[in-house]
Amino acid sequence: MRRIVWLLALLPVLAALVVAGCGGGGETSSGTGGGGTGTASGEPMKIGASLPLTGDFSEPGVAAQQGYQIWQQQVNDSGGLLGRPVKITIKDDQSDQNAVVTDYNALIQQEKVDLLLGTFSSLLNLPASAVAERNQMLYVEPAGGSPEMFSRGFKYLFFAQQATAEHQADLFSQWAAGLPADQKPKTAAYVAADDPFGGPVADGIKSQLEAAGVQTVYSKVYPPETTNFDAIASAVASKKPDVIAQGSAGLADGVGLDRALIKVGYSPKQLFQASTPSFADQFSKAIGLENTEGIFYAVSYHVDAPTPGNEEFLAAYKAKYNTDPPEDAADAYAAAQVLQAAVEAVGSIDDQEALANWLRDNSVDTILGTLSWDDTGAPEQAFLLAQWQNGDEEIVLPDDAKTSDTIVNPKPPWK
Amino acid sequence: MTQLVQAIILGLLIGGVYALLASGLTLIFGVMDVINVAQGALLILAAFLAWTLWQEAGIDPLIGVLITTPAMFVLGFVMYKLTVQWLSGMPASMSVLLTFALALVIEGAMGLAWSTTYHAATPDYFDESYRLGQFYFPKAQVYGCGVAVGVLALLYVMLDHTWLGRAIRALSENAQSARLVGVNVRGVAALTFAVGVATTGAGGSIISVLYPFLPGSHYQWISRLLGIIVLGGMGSLPGAVVGALALGVAETMTVTYISPRWATAVPYVVIMVVLLARPQGIMGAKLREDVVV
Repeated sequence: MRRIVWLLALLPVLAALVVAGCGGGGETSSGTGGGGTGTASGEPMKIGASLPLTGDFSEPGVAAQQGYQIWQQQVNDSGGLLGRPVKITIKDDQSDQNAVVTDYNALIQQEKVDLLLGTFSSLLNLPASAVAERNQMLYVEPAGGSPEMFSRGFKYLFFAQQATAEHQADLFSQWAAGLPADQKPKTAAYVAADDPFGGPVADGIKSQLEAAGVQTVYSKVYPPETTNFDAIASAVASKKPDVIAQGSAGLADGVGLDRALIKVGYSPKQLFQASTPSFADQFSKAIGLENTEGIFYAVSYHVDAPTPGNEEFLAAYKAKYNTDPPEDAADAYAAAQVLQAAVEAVGSIDDQEALANWLRDNSVDTILGTLSWDDTGAPEQAFLLAQWQNGDEEIVLPDDAKTSDTIVNPKPPWK
Repeated sequence: MTQLVQAIILGLLIGGVYALLASGLTLIFGVMDVINVAQGALLILAAFLAWTLWQEAGIDPLIGVLITTPAMFVLGFVMYKLTVQWLSGMPASMSVLLTFALALVIEGAMGLAWSTTYHAATPDYFDESYRLGQFYFPKAQVYGCGVAVGVLALLYVMLDHTWLGRAIRALSENAQSARLVGVNVRGVAALTFAVGVATTGAGGSIISVLYPFLPGSHYQWISRLLGIIVLGGMGSLPGAVVGALALGVAETMTVTYISPRWATAVPYVVIMVVLLARPQGIMGAKLREDVVV
């Protein structure tokens, strides 16, 4: 009996720890709080989202949460949305496909939110967007460019980045294919994470490079949770490819491949990784700053971009978090901007089909640049091609956005 | 041929590390029937401790083992006294519930303390290799494997040649008889749990060098470790070593000759085969003949 009493006494302590430990992850809702200088009044406009605040995607998930919150703060400081204060409710889906479905259902059915914002990654957006579609609610998602997203004929889905996964590396493929004959790669190896994003990225590069006459010497898919890349790197290195291209959405697997290549002692002439190098100092610390030189990646956002509203976003983010915003925070902010543009242009949220129709017919200025969509909700622009140079991230293509005039080629050997 | 030998080398090296990671889990299960699902979270916690020592005090993570191991021992002892001891007499499934809750608490606490971003310790040798002819031996894995062998040898000596070790083995074979011959069951169980958790000190330090990690990383580790101890025979330390080496080699061979895609399935396929052909695991039932029939 004494034992049971003890256990019961411990329960509240444990519960408190869990809640505190998750960083308020269970559910964070930060209302307008009556503070600030907002002139918005009346019933708050409830916006619901679920993000992977814990689990595999916790890193980008938390960044996206910051992006949404910065947007909320700015909107409320400048009079709200349609004159109403905005209140974003963010649930934690633990990077789990089942949880994300439960979350969006609960947001719509129980919490009766007025609008939705998307979650992070194609993996989670695939089921979540289906919930929104079924409930006929506009669904603007900040990260999820898998072609699978847009092949389902959804009417309410919009992706708030520049392009879908298979076009992630267009500028890289075009650049490599267009090199003079003595520099043009002859062989290439493709390594892709088995998720809805990684595969299409690698396939996109592969089809473009093969069309340009680059021979494929290795092409394998690995499970996204792979940590040990030694055997893969050993197999890739034995083929001595000029280009190594990796399709992945995370940090750990990209770092794992780089580290394994360093250990086996093989440095390709061109190394492209879909998103790992965009994790800034987490990436450079994990493989060593001196090893980053010359690594290519595609990116949606750059802090120095002269896009409309970026200055304000940057200032607000820095003021709150004391560091430069990560790409995922900027993407989330842009998704909220897209939602805001549609709501303000239509002037009402009662007919969400009208919001979707407006987005299909118009383009929206965001901190990522101007975005527009085709009938499936897939964006029609191109990602920036970035490269690590002298320990810094530089945009090298397209010409009108570049921050560096040179492209490091070939990639210098590992240090 | 070169590739085959290289794949075996890489597999054995990583298998050695797996052996260390699984040893604590199997020890705790063998002695007290507790499936410590929090072992993965404790491993990542130890990795964060090792990373902090490396980052703040410049202590090499492999030297840091000398600090993280006692720290995890103390934490394990406290965990046992506060929570795990109340499990005695309850079915093993209750231990899964309790330790899963502990894992979530630890994951959340790590998120608060170190944030949910990736961390990686990068001492000089993290990306270097020894070369022998056409073959290469990644230094981090070689050192990690060395530490693993050292810790496992210590564990073995402790279990075989000390009074505590004999008491632990007595307890694992028959708790009631152990009590009859004067073993302080609660005290020994507490020490066993603490020793089992202490092994994560060395394991976590090695992981901090081998792979980037974040608080959520513990899920992938605990599933692999459970696979290893089922393969080796739950509760058997030598079984955990054999299971770990087998799994390490099976994974690298699959990646090299079939596809990386199938590597994740290897532990599960292995478990299924083992459960069909030899349900007690490769070396199971050695410590627990009274229970496994």
